[in-house]
Amino acid sequence: MIDFTDEQKMAQRMLRTWAEKELVPLVPAMERGDVLPYDAMRHLIRSFGIDEMARATFAKATPGGDTNAGGERGFFGGDPALSAIVAIELSRVCPGFALAFGASLGLAGGAILAKGTAAQKKRFALPILTGEKIGAWAMTEPGAGSDAFRSMRTIARRSGDGYILNGQKTFITNAPFADVLVIYAKLAEPGQSENERPIHAFIVEKGAPGLSLSKPMEKMGMHSSPTGEIFLSDVCVAKSALLGETETLPARDRAREVFHGERTGMVPMCFGVIDRCLELSVAYAKERQTWGKQIGEYQLVQEKLARMYMHRENVRNLLFKQLEKAHKKVTISAAEASASKLYCARVATECALEAVQIFGGNGYMREFTVEMMARDAKLFQIGGGTDEIQITAIARQLLSE
Amino acid sequence: MKILVTAKRVPDPEQKVKFKGNTLDQSGVNWQLNQFDEYAVESALRLTENASSGNARNGEVIVVSLGPKDVQQQLRSTLAMGADRAILVDASDENLDSEIVARTVQKLVEQERPDLVLLGKLAADSEANDVGQRLAGYLGWPQATFACSIEVTDGGKALLVGREVDAGVETKKVTLPAVVTVDLRIVAPQAVKNGVTAATHAYADGPRYASLKGIMAAKKKTIADSSLAALGVAATVRAKVASVDAPPARKAGVKVASVEELVQKLHNEAKVI
Ligand SMILES: Cc1cc2nc3c(=O)[nH]c(=O)nc-3n(C[C@H](O)[C@H](O)[C@H](O)COP(=O)(O)OP(=O)(O)OC[C@H]3O[C@@H](n4cnc5c(N)ncnc54)[C@H](O)[C@@H]3O)c2cc1C
Repeated sequence: MIDFTDEQKMAQRMLRTWAEKELVPLVPAMERGDVLPYDAMRHLIRSFGIDEMARATFAKATPGGDTNAGGERGFFGGDPALSAIVAIELSRVCPGFALAFGASLGLAGGAILAKGTAAQKKRFALPILTGEKIGAWAMTEPGAGSDAFRSMRTIARRSGDGYILNGQKTFITNAPFADVLVIYAKLAEPGQSENERPIHAFIVEKGAPGLSLSKPMEKMGMHSSPTGEIFLSDVCVAKSALLGETETLPARDRAREVFHGERTGMVPMCFGVIDRCLELSVAYAKERQTWGKQIGEYQLVQEKLARMYMHRENVRNLLFKQLEKAHKKVTISAAEASASKLYCARVATECALEAVQIFGGNGYMREFTVEMMARDAKLFQIGGGTDEIQITAIARQLLSE
Repeated sequence: MKILVTAKRVPDPEQKVKFKGNTLDQSGVNWQLNQFDEYAVESALRLTENASSGNARNGEVIVVSLGPKDVQQQLRSTLAMGADRAILVDASDENLDSEIVARTVQKLVEQERPDLVLLGKLAADSEANDVGQRLAGYLGWPQATFACSIEVTDGGKALLVGREVDAGVETKKVTLPAVVTVDLRIVAPQAVKNGVTAATHAYADGPRYASLKGIMAAKKKTIADSSLAALGVAATVRAKVASVDAPPARKAGVKVASVEELVQKLHNEAKVI
């Protein structure tokens, strides 16, 4: 696939109209933190019938049976191109909003859809997909980031038929306002060393005794996406809170799959940022004059535009390759996903900073979109595995082959 | 209720117009659905669904357009919004005038026998504002133009149409079949009442977004091709555009040194005070 289909393009035009009409006016207030992104998320979900689509897939699923019922298909009718288009169009206007949306539906909803039991999907994933509930996906801890598995301290202890959770998570998107939290913890088995402890995911609901959620943290960018901490102090959960309700398949592999999803999921966000930055930069280069000439006539500015264009085309190609593979159900290797994410994140930051440069003093002003883009793009190099971790993963695969 | 809606593609009004001599250069134009036609589609959908019961369809909406093949894209988007099918009459803009368009729609009305024809009050490019009126005349049907509200009455046999006029809102009762042209307030949350959807129902303001499901469903809906010849419409353009000129460029202003000078200039030169 080298381009979207006619239907996908129509969806893209509708989403662009929605974003320009409904989201753009909210961005300043969302960025200041005066308005939360969730009402707009619900509006988006309702306007495009994402809720209706999810309900329809769930209704089709055989009651009580089959754990795969309403599986991946619950999300945009199972079309990965549609999720990419949503991520692109939201990121073009407000990457923070795209992040909040993606963390709820894609990460939290996606984890439950991929590994939950039929009952868990219906009870927790469906309301996330319909926007009734907001989801958060919690892996990172104050002492465990790049080494999230190795250094995880959050612990689950068996208690009767259920578990007791203790620990702390940080930098979790949507945590301050989440209704459904997918929380990773190590299962404490007697006689096991910390490193041998299997990691499992637990679904915890807001309001559970012992669970506290912090206020939004102040950060460099992605202001439209509330980020927070989670504190677990003797939080008792039933067996039914264990994602997949089985201890036999440790969650390490499953979480790795979500990491994988997180990496491929960032590519369209990066594309959205670059596409918008290039569009804004070209328009500005034609409009702004110095010494009586449009700045676009200066070769130093042209070089920036040409590089941004080159990066955009490369990211677009990576995106379509990824979509083609997803469509054909060909797996993307870890190195491939890492290389893609690494490249896209770096060039998104480069393009957004170059856009600021083209805009000069205006580019440094909050009033101009590129200022937000530059701060937001930096997250792509940190979240979903840092650049360094991607490099390590690529090298590991290369050297082990 | 069976409704025929007209839809025209027009150049994006936000885009700068380019000139080629005394005509418009439309080579690099971004085409979009005429806004008032999109509102007509929205009104038609609101008239033919039960919004209190999951938007269950309760009637048929047929969208018609005259234009080149590419207009399929705009027609497809109305199908994605929920219209049932479309008819595209092959034509190029240069070979059309209001009379030909109205005569063509008349033929389609005779073929399809709808209860109502809904049109935008005007097309954003030509702003001619006369297809609806001509059509009603040719058909001999009652008409209501510039509708800001529509309410189905007399058990579906007539419409009460609100029209914003200088002195306030005038309400006209038209017996079906009829021709109605819509103005922008027709997409207000409670502007359309079809007697089936609960009277208290409030829509989101503006035309609906095509849902993702709607977009996928539109793929399977039909856009029938037709032509002026097939419909038996004489294709002689009688309205001639003499020329199209760009508005004169704005002249540079002048700086005044004092309030006195400003007042003096406003009085003597601009003659506004
Ligand atoms: C806005 C935002 C939203 C987030 N949302 C979520 C969320 O929803 N859920 C969630 O679970 N997490 C989330 N995170 C956390 C994110 O995934 C982590 O910040 C990220 O994985 C990096 O971990 P760390 O911050 O602990 O950095 P560290 O692991 O402490 O890394 C510090 C530096 O050391 C480098 N480094 C570390 N180890 C190595 C090594 N072996 N070799 C070379 N270099 C190394 C890193 O690359 C980095 O440059 C979010 C973060 C942010 C900023």
